[in-house]
Amino acid sequence: MERATKTIGLKEAATLASDALQKRPEICLGGLFKQSRPVALVRALLATGANGLHVYSSPGAGYDIDLMIAAGAIDEVFVPGVTLENRLCPNFRKAVESQQVKAHALDALTIVGGLMASAHGVPFQPIGALKGSDVLKHNPLITPFDCPLTGQPLHAVAPIRPAVTLLHAQEADRWGNIRHLSTMVYADQLMARASDMVIVSVDRIVEDDVVLDDPRRVTIPAHYVDAVVEVPYGAHPTASFPNYAMDEAHIDAYADLGDAARRGDGAGLADYLEQHVTSAPEQVAYLRNIGGHARLGPLIAEARAS
Amino acid sequence: MSMDFSPLEQMTVVMARDLADGELGAAGAAALVPMAAIALAREMHAPNLTVGGEMFFNPVAGHLYPSMLDDRALGRCEASETFIELFGHSHHGLDFFFHSGLQHDRYGNINLHHVGGTLHAPKMRGPGAANLSYGHTSTRFYICPTVHNVRNFVEKVDFVTIPGNLSGPESRAAAGLTRQGPRLVVTPRAVLDFDPKTLRMRLKSVHCGNSIEDVLANTGFKPDVPEETGPTPPPTAEELSVLRGKIDPSGALRS
Repeated sequence: MERATKTIGLKEAATLASDALQKRPEICLGGLFKQSRPVALVRALLATGANGLHVYSSPGAGYDIDLMIAAGAIDEVFVPGVTLENRLCPNFRKAVESQQVKAHALDALTIVGGLMASAHGVPFQPIGALKGSDVLKHNPLITPFDCPLTGQPLHAVAPIRPAVTLLHAQEADRWGNIRHLSTMVYADQLMARASDMVIVSVDRIVEDDVVLDDPRRVTIPAHYVDAVVEVPYGAHPTASFPNYAMDEAHIDAYADLGDAARRGDGAGLADYLEQHVTSAPEQVAYLRNIGGHARLGPLIAEARAS
Repeated sequence: MSMDFSPLEQMTVVMARDLADGELGAAGAAALVPMAAIALAREMHAPNLTVGGEMFFNPVAGHLYPSMLDDRALGRCEASETFIELFGHSHHGLDFFFHSGLQHDRYGNINLHHVGGTLHAPKMRGPGAANLSYGHTSTRFYICPTVHNVRNFVEKVDFVTIPGNLSGPESRAAAGLTRQGPRLVVTPRAVLDFDPKTLRMRLKSVHCGNSIEDVLANTGFKPDVPEETGPTPPPTAEELSVLRGKIDPSGALRS
C-alpha cells in the first residue's frame, strides 16, 4: 500500500470546507492584514454558496473578510481589527451598521489565547491584560476568575476550535509539509494545531527532497494538514512574500466599489462578485481577469526588491 | 513665519526626541509617523533603542509605508517572532508604544470601535484594534493622530478601546492601571500633555503656523492652557537632513 498524497484541486478543497462548515460554521483564516491571506480558497468557498459563517482570523484582517461579507457568507465576526489600513472596510461597515452582521469587540490576546487553549488541549488560557478597556465589558469569549495561586484577577479564554482553517504559504510537498518562505508567519502554525480541518494553498508544490534537505524550514508538519492545493498567486490581491507583493491598486478599486454600494450604487460590486467569485473562475481565468502578467509583473518585482 | 517642514515631520521630531537610548518599543498600527520617529531617534541619540514587540526585531526599512506590519516594510530585520511572544510582550509590556483612534477625549482615552449608537447598532463602525495590551502594560504611550479637529478630539469617547486616564486618578486605580499611560498627544497642530494631578489634557506647545486659538477652535473640548504654553521647537537642520536623507527619501511625511 502506498502513502496517500494530500494534494487536491481548488474546487475539491472548497467542497471539503463547505461540507465541514455546514456542520459547524467556525472558520479561521491565516495570514495578517494584506499578507499571506488564503484568498483563492476563500473565493472558491464563497462560490459554493457557503453562508452563516462565524469567521476568526489572526488579529488583523481586511479584504477577505470584507469580500465574504459582500458575498453574504458571514453572520458573526470574531476578528479584533478589520481594516484595509489606509481606509475602512466598506462592506464590513455597512453590514455591521445595518445590523446584518455582528462584529464582536475582542483583542489579540483573546483570539491567540483561545487558539492556544485549543492547540494545547486545556480548557482555558489565562490572560491578564485588557484592563480599563470597554472591550472587557463586551468580549463574549472571556470569563473573569481569580488566580488560584496569587488571587490576582484574571480572565479565562475558552478554546477556539475552528471547524476549518484556511491558510496560504509559499511551498509544500505533496504530503502536506508546509514551508513559509516569508519572514512573517505569525499565527498560521498555531491555527493549524487548533483546528479540526486544515487546508493550505501554496504558490507551488516542491519535490520531496526540498523538504528533506532542510526540515527546520518546514513551518507546519503534514501531520496537522488535511489537504494542500497548488494555486499560483493564490493569495492575490494580498501578498505572498518573497514571491509577490500586495496589489494595493486592486484592493483600492474593490473598496471604491464597496463604498459606492454603501452609498446605494451596488452595480459595480455585483459585477465584481460575479466575475471573480460566484462564476467560480479557474485560477488561470481569475489571473487573466485581474490583468494578467501586466498586473502581476510589478508585484513580483516589488517583492524581490523589498 | 515661513514653514520649510511639514506637520508630519514636526510630529516625527517631537516624538523622536522623547525616546531614549536603550529602550524597547514598537510603532503600532498607523505606523508611518511612529516608525519615522523611532528611526530618527536611532540615528540621532538612541543607537541602542530596540524595535520589538510586533514580530519584527530591528527592521531595516527601505522606506516608509502607511502600514508597517508586513514583509514589504519590515521583512528585512534581525529576527522575526510569532504569536508565542504576543503573550510575553503583552504581559511584560514595552517601554513605549503609539496609538491613534477615531476619537480621543480630554483624558486621553481612545476609541476605534464605533461613533454614535452602540457597539452592536453603531451609527459608524470603526476598525476595532488588534493589540490593546500595550496601552496599560507598556511604561508609556504616545497618541499621534495625523488629523486634529473637533470630530476626533471630543469631550468623551463613545467607546473606550484603549484606556488613557479613564475619568481621572481614582478611575485609573480602580481599573488596575498602574503604568504612566498616555504621555504626550502629538498632532499636526500641537503637543498636549496631561496634568499630573487631574490627568486631564493640557496644551503644551503649538506648532509653527498655528496659534493657540487655532488649536482650541479645532478641539472638541477645552484643554487647560498653562501660562508656559509656547511654540513647539521646530526640527533642527540636522534632524531634517537625517529624516529626508536616510529615513524618508521618498517624502511620505511631506505628501
